[in-house]
Amino acid sequence: MDVVRVKLTGLLAGAIFGFVISWARLTDPAVIRNMLLLREAHVFLIMGSAIAVAAIGVRLLRIASVTSLITREPIGWSVQQPERRHVVGSVIFGAGWSVLGTCPGPLAAMIGEGKLSGLIVGAGLLAGVAVQPVLKRQRTVERPRVELSGAVGL
Amino acid sequence: MMARCPWYIAGPLLGMVIVGLRAAVNKPLGALGGYIDVVDHGTRPSQLGFSAFLLLGIVLGGALFANLTGTFSPTWVYSTGLPLNGSWQLAAVLGAGLAMGIGARTAGGCTSGHGLCGVSLGSAASAVSTITFFMTAVALAHAFSWVLGWTS
Repeated sequence: MDVVRVKLTGLLAGAIFGFVISWARLTDPAVIRNMLLLREAHVFLIMGSAIAVAAIGVRLLRIASVTSLITREPIGWSVQQPERRHVVGSVIFGAGWSVLGTCPGPLAAMIGEGKLSGLIVGAGLLAGVAVQPVLKRQRTVERPRVELSGAVGL
Repeated sequence: MMARCPWYIAGPLLGMVIVGLRAAVNKPLGALGGYIDVVDHGTRPSQLGFSAFLLLGIVLGGALFANLTGTFSPTWVYSTGLPLNGSWQLAAVLGAGLAMGIGARTAGGCTSGHGLCGVSLGSAASAVSTITFFMTAVALAHAFSWVLGWTS
């Protein structure tokens, strides 16, 4: 069935992705820290060349106007314009990233490598992912109240 | 042990995974979606979708690498490089994980979803997110290094 084949494609793509991440030592927090301290260019070069290859590849697919092999739909995508949440969220994300020396992708590969301490990071990450919609809802509820008290203050 | 994969092989391979997913299922690559899927549908595994399987695949890929190279050695040690010990180190790891989850879901992506995939698709939101988390992490890493004697 189609749904199963889509999931299996995800599994296979993830396995290749995870294998390469491990092979390139992106699962080692020391490697990420050296990158963040701008001591070596290796990780920047990996990301840059990955983006270049992907950017050209997906555009060739779109120009060729082919349909996807499994889902049989025209290949295409939409892009988002930047909003406040992209900046706010990425500052919070970047702070966590700098402390840990790992991020959601390499974390998964790290756990696969048997670095079980990654499960502690994973527990925190899952908790954060679960609690974020709740925090967001509270903020949207609180906002009018804040504006009102500001107006009263004036 | 297998030597570290050079960037000019690792990078293009990661890029090819993004192109391959587009060609096969017309979907973007990103690790965050898998964690969201697990949180939303974790109690009913049959409902786990593409994103969760992608994430599971990443775990399997790491396991495959460690087994092939004979480096599979389970450990519970995690160092943040910060001068903390015992329960403070644990609190830092958990807290930073929490921040990463809240931040990534707020921004709608992580290093793979925004940084690799979104940027390659030409998304301005992904470019802004990527510049923001890189600048934040680079600045904080330098601050840790200068103030706390942080080493890698």
